[in-house]
Amino acid sequence: MIDIIIMIFCTLGALAVLLAAIGVLRMPDVYLRLSVTTKAATLGIGLILVGAAFHFSEVGVTSRIIAIIFFITVTAPVSAYLIVRASYFIKAKLWEHSIVDELNGMYDKKTHSLSSTDLPDEVASHRTDDEEEIEEIK
Amino acid sequence: MMQKRFLMNVLLTVIWVALTGSFDYLNFIFGFLVSFFVMWIISRNTDDRKYFTIAFKVLGFFFFFLYEFFKATIEVAYEVMTKRFQMKPGIIKMPLDAKTDLEITLLSNLISLTPGTLVLDVSEDRTVIYIHGMYVEDKVKFINSIKEGLEKPLLSIMR
Amino acid sequence: MNLENYLLYFILPVLTLSTILVFIRFLKGPSIADRVISFDLLVIIGLGTIAVVSILADQPTFLDIAMIVALIGFLSTVAFSYYLEKRQRND
Repeated sequence: MIDIIIMIFCTLGALAVLLAAIGVLRMPDVYLRLSVTTKAATLGIGLILVGAAFHFSEVGVTSRIIAIIFFITVTAPVSAYLIVRASYFIKAKLWEHSIVDELNGMYDKKTHSLSSTDLPDEVASHRTDDEEEIEEIK
Repeated sequence: MMQKRFLMNVLLTVIWVALTGSFDYLNFIFGFLVSFFVMWIISRNTDDRKYFTIAFKVLGFFFFFLYEFFKATIEVAYEVMTKRFQMKPGIIKMPLDAKTDLEITLLSNLISLTPGTLVLDVSEDRTVIYIHGMYVEDKVKFINSIKEGLEKPLLSIMR
Repeated sequence: MNLENYLLYFILPVLTLSTILVFIRFLKGPSIADRVISFDLLVIIGLGTIAVVSILADQPTFLDIAMIVALIGFLSTVAFSYYLEKRQRND
């Protein structure tokens, strides 16, 4: 009985991880890749770890697993946020079929602080500043 | 008052576990529920009952979020598996109702944990938050779904 | 079909396949941000593999390693993105 529970959890977890892997390979830009992968992978690892908790079923192991799951769920959005912020500054392109981009030109070029209203053109950092800079970063 | 009630609850749980003598998770949860129920009965006539209403709200919000999470995961899975993309991604500016640091952090973590949406940044003056969404055909509808689905229940718990 | 065979012949191959797919993105990745994302994902898949192996070997001690790997993965992601943003600002 408990074997079947472990099998179900591990299968769902492995499929979620596979989904994240396919997503990171297929999605067209950085933002979409992040928004698919971070959550699916977190969910998958959480399910596999829950399966491990069912297999051992001791207090010490279960609390360790709860700690790991809590840690992963707390850190995944933080690291996604950090990567996305950095990828804006290295001028990662949006997918060409994206509809709106309200972030473009909102960062201050010098201080990297973000405003809530439109900035004047000379201080704003645009996504497509000049072509040479983009080439150089690649 | 909230913290006092919660600490009292934990203390009663520890006493229950020590009295019954079996130190496992099921017993902990059972002791917590029993002491919660006892405290609920004892304080029926007092005015300050926020702790008890909030406990049910937190539970409801947790299951609601779990449901949303799985629904969005299936949506994204479908999007990843099909050959042609049908999504319409974009970056949206959403005005914030949450004011303190803790509220904004919790809200943005919850938005980031929902598949298909991703928080890019919070503006320096903490009035707007920039969200990257996968389906933003209708901007107003997208903002409303986040405001109604995540921000309102969260704020009603926090305040 | 017992649990051991199932884990060995279905779960681990699926995890390996996802590692290969992520690694293709790691090699292709047009920008550095893509590489950081795939590295993060590789660490997370490694966590899952450690959990499965700990079930197979019946050794709960392996989960301590999983915890440390999770910590190091998070720290490396933070360090990479910090470095990327700093480098851009100093130009």
